[in-house]
Amino acid sequence: MTPLQFETLYQGEWEELETLLRRFLGTRRKSDPAARQGERLAALYRRVCEQLALARARSYPAYMLDRLERLTGDAHQVIYQRREFGIAVVRRLMSVEFPQAVGANAPYILLAAALLLLPTLIVGLLVYYRPDLILSVVDARTAASFEQMYSPTAESIGRLRSANTDWMMFGYYIMHNIGISFQCFAGGLVAGVGSVFFLIYNGASIGAVAGYLTQRGLGTTFYPFVATHSAFELTAIVLAGAAGLRLGHSLLVPGRNTRLDSLVSATRRCTVLLYGSTTMLVIAAGIEAFWSSAAWLPPSVKYSVAGVCWLAVLGYLTLQGRRHAG
Amino acid sequence: MTVDVLDTVVTAETPEGILLELRPAGLSARFYAFVVDGLIRMVALNIVAIATRPIGGIGTAVWLILFFLLDWFYPVAFELWRSGATPGKRLFNLKVIMDDGLPVTPVASLARNLLRTADFLPLLYGAAIVTVLTRADCKRLCDLAAATLVVHQPHTTRKAERAAVAPLAPTRALQSRDQAAVIALATRAPVLTRDRLDELAVLAASVAGGDARPGPQLTQRVLGVAEWLLGRRS
Repeated sequence: MTPLQFETLYQGEWEELETLLRRFLGTRRKSDPAARQGERLAALYRRVCEQLALARARSYPAYMLDRLERLTGDAHQVIYQRREFGIAVVRRLMSVEFPQAVGANAPYILLAAALLLLPTLIVGLLVYYRPDLILSVVDARTAASFEQMYSPTAESIGRLRSANTDWMMFGYYIMHNIGISFQCFAGGLVAGVGSVFFLIYNGASIGAVAGYLTQRGLGTTFYPFVATHSAFELTAIVLAGAAGLRLGHSLLVPGRNTRLDSLVSATRRCTVLLYGSTTMLVIAAGIEAFWSSAAWLPPSVKYSVAGVCWLAVLGYLTLQGRRHAG
Repeated sequence: MTVDVLDTVVTAETPEGILLELRPAGLSARFYAFVVDGLIRMVALNIVAIATRPIGGIGTAVWLILFFLLDWFYPVAFELWRSGATPGKRLFNLKVIMDDGLPVTPVASLARNLLRTADFLPLLYGAAIVTVLTRADCKRLCDLAAATLVVHQPHTTRKAERAAVAPLAPTRALQSRDQAAVIALATRAPVLTRDRLDELAVLAASVAGGDARPGPQLTQRVLGVAEWLLGRRS
């Protein structure tokens, strides 16, 4: 068969597929009849694949190969695309995929928790007994601003002097805290060193502030403030750090895979943790801005709510994951 | 039919047994796209900043949240939206896909954009620049981790226009490789200069018979053979 014969024979199919693809790639609504022509699209796609193979084997002219390659490429994208959005996906993510990822990454999560909490404890105790050590973490002005933020006379706790409303702090917490968690994750690509650093660094900072404020006698305002949102915030940073640690581990100890294969599979397995981590940080920012900062709530109420939140978060992470692991 | 050429084409096999040819985008194209996206984000943030200034606290919150969303999720949203490309990438005909030719998945898109910080190290995207320049498939670190690829979308297909020439039977049997070469010359004829076309036609003189001296006459005969090979007989 000559190239021209081939072209005239199949031209009709190519044009039909081109029109179909244009409709699929363009704006598409549910009422669009193109949505019901998937079967025809698949059939045409398989035929074009066959024709491309023939055309290549017979060294047909380049313009024809170009056209066929483009058709198969576009159709391939349309046919194999996954179009899953909406409530069902979120529900599956929350009830199955995320808890499963937590279960599968448990060792990394425990390690990340240790890397965050041990420095918190150690630096916290150090600063509590040697308050001048706070100056090796932050400068004097920042230390003074912490005192001002958590003073019992403040109308709203934990608020920067420059921020005039809870809303503003909400925005600030979202931008700042979620950024930190993403850094903990991305640090994993540097052989995990970045994740380890950010976890320890953040742990040490939290410890320093807590130790300092406790020593200054401001614990009565500080702890009720942090108790509730820390359930979400610390967990979220641990999760992001754990994902980063897994990336680093996959690079350092690839096992029987190449380093690249090992990294790719680790990324696929641990990125799901970031969904949960980000959601938790948004929740934490909301609580921190509107609930934790409310000075008129008695500490007993805050502690009770905090207890419920911690139980809920830890229960969700451990029990939900275990049910689906079996 | 595959020949070793100095090229960056990545092939991906589909379940139908077809090899898709993907053309990874290099540093310059991606840099331009990046700059355009940066400008778009900057303009959006400035507009919102001006619009929300009178509102006060909530306005600042909206701005901060928008800043955060644009910073991290601007590429994710556009990559998962049907086109697989941010406006900047679309402007330069680039697209993000999985390295097996499939559309980018949510997890991969999230990974390649959240890990961006690592690409930024040690400064100004140094790691990304080095990996894009040194790898044949032009992946930056995050593309490696997420198994994604930034490719040129197929450019507009070459035209099938050929000069109107009377078909001429070749004077000897031609292998399919040779046939393809003669046809390729004919399809390129409209974009070549007359002298260059004559020069190239000399290489195929043996298939056209007759006078082998370079010139328009030989060229016409070679183009005629191409027409014949394509299937025209009259």
